[in-house]
Amino acid sequence: MTKIIVPIGPQHPLLKEPVSFQLTVEGEHVTESAMRLGYVHRGIERLCQERTYVQNIHLLERICGICSHVHTTTFCQGVEALLGVKLPSRALYLRALLCELERIHSHLLWLGVLALNIGFDTIFMYAWHDREVVLDIMEDLSGGRVSHAVNIVGGVRFDLTDDRRVTLLRQLNGLEEQVRILLGVVEHEQTLQARTRNVGRLSLEQIRRYCVVGPVARASGLDVDLRRDMPRPPYDGLTFQVPVRQEGDVWARTLVRMLETVESVHLCRQMLDLLPPGPVSTRVSRRVPAGEVVSRTEAPRGEVVYYIRSDGSDKPARVKVRTPTLTNLITLPSQLENVNMADVSVVLSGVDLCIACADR
Amino acid sequence: MNRLLRQLHLFEEIFSAFQAAFPDDPLTVQAMPIDETFVTLAPEHIHEACEILVERFDFYHLSTITGLDTGAAVELFYHFWNAYGITLRTALPYTALRIATLTDFIPGAAFYERELYTMLGVVFEGHVNLQPLLQPDDWDGSHPLRKT
Repeated sequence: MTKIIVPIGPQHPLLKEPVSFQLTVEGEHVTESAMRLGYVHRGIERLCQERTYVQNIHLLERICGICSHVHTTTFCQGVEALLGVKLPSRALYLRALLCELERIHSHLLWLGVLALNIGFDTIFMYAWHDREVVLDIMEDLSGGRVSHAVNIVGGVRFDLTDDRRVTLLRQLNGLEEQVRILLGVVEHEQTLQARTRNVGRLSLEQIRRYCVVGPVARASGLDVDLRRDMPRPPYDGLTFQVPVRQEGDVWARTLVRMLETVESVHLCRQMLDLLPPGPVSTRVSRRVPAGEVVSRTEAPRGEVVYYIRSDGSDKPARVKVRTPTLTNLITLPSQLENVNMADVSVVLSGVDLCIACADR
Repeated sequence: MNRLLRQLHLFEEIFSAFQAAFPDDPLTVQAMPIDETFVTLAPEHIHEACEILVERFDFYHLSTITGLDTGAAVELFYHFWNAYGITLRTALPYTALRIATLTDFIPGAAFYERELYTMLGVVFEGHVNLQPLLQPDDWDGSHPLRKT
């Protein structure tokens, strides 16, 4: 049969960000795929060496347009470890609260994108409608819907009044109701299952060999979550489940993400209940003692790793950023193999691509 | 406390396995903040040490490889994770910026090695597709993270 090469990207309606795929197609089936990255490479790691720690927080926040807060959290956590400061509990809780809200936002956004790509516009509308609730909450808390700019080395820049806490709990109750409806749709809706079941399968062995992280790994049976496996405050004092599925297809990834969203709502509620009183930040020196640190956190898409080296000045000597998408992208060729052309969009959505993260 | 004890016990085992495998390497171990341990090795031992970590101690997850130009040498950090973090570090002199690839048993290392190849000019021997990862098509061959 004749082989045809179908280019997808760098600019393509299917993609939300620029990345390029060259799919070799025989009939309706993909036989080979090649990927090209780097269209949004901004040289952020190099830029970090030119800026002070304070300036870097604002730069690193712009790595990702969805999980911006988790990047600054990982960076600040590393720098605080180098400084040897102990954060007030309230700061840690507020930081984690925003991380969980961001996870809800990211997963709902992703569900909308998946639904849009399979032509299921109703779910897309509902998911993005519910996402607005989280965005409004985050805007109320931080002043920004996507870039929150709340992290500083030594704590956070916002606080929560008691009145606001009560309204927030009410908003979360409403949100949980909505998310549970979406979860029911993912579990039982046959159209969605017909498009996502047995598509883009990855075995546990592949997941381990390709070093895959986050919901994609958990949907293939790898029971890993840094919030639970590297317990640090406040997560060590909270109870939550880590949803794991064995199927390894896009449907399992959808289910894992929706279950995680429900868990995140629970976590937010627990944090609001247990929110300790006290200050939200502590004063720290602008110069960071010489040393190096590896900082890891669980972002919505999986493990984020920062390596930070300080030479004793107010600028880092090296900041290395490894985002979850970069590791998960590497599985795409094996996922796309023998896939029907119509399912390519499902496979690409299933990984939850964030190209700006991968390119930095 | 149990977690800390388990970590200490595990790292003692790993360290003695390294000592047995590389008796002539002056290994140094450093405990770092946030559950991380750094082990310094000679570049020629990295491949085998990673194999020991993955095969014998089930550190299946290579988080990333960091490259760093110190001005005197290019340092590489292999960050592994399985409940605890362990980082193998090594330094390559400018005259021999070559090291064995890990992609033969960790295919997930492919992108990290490609990135380091362009950013710092480290050649990973045995990598089947050592192409630029993030650089444009008209990349001039210079290495953005190099100091010299």
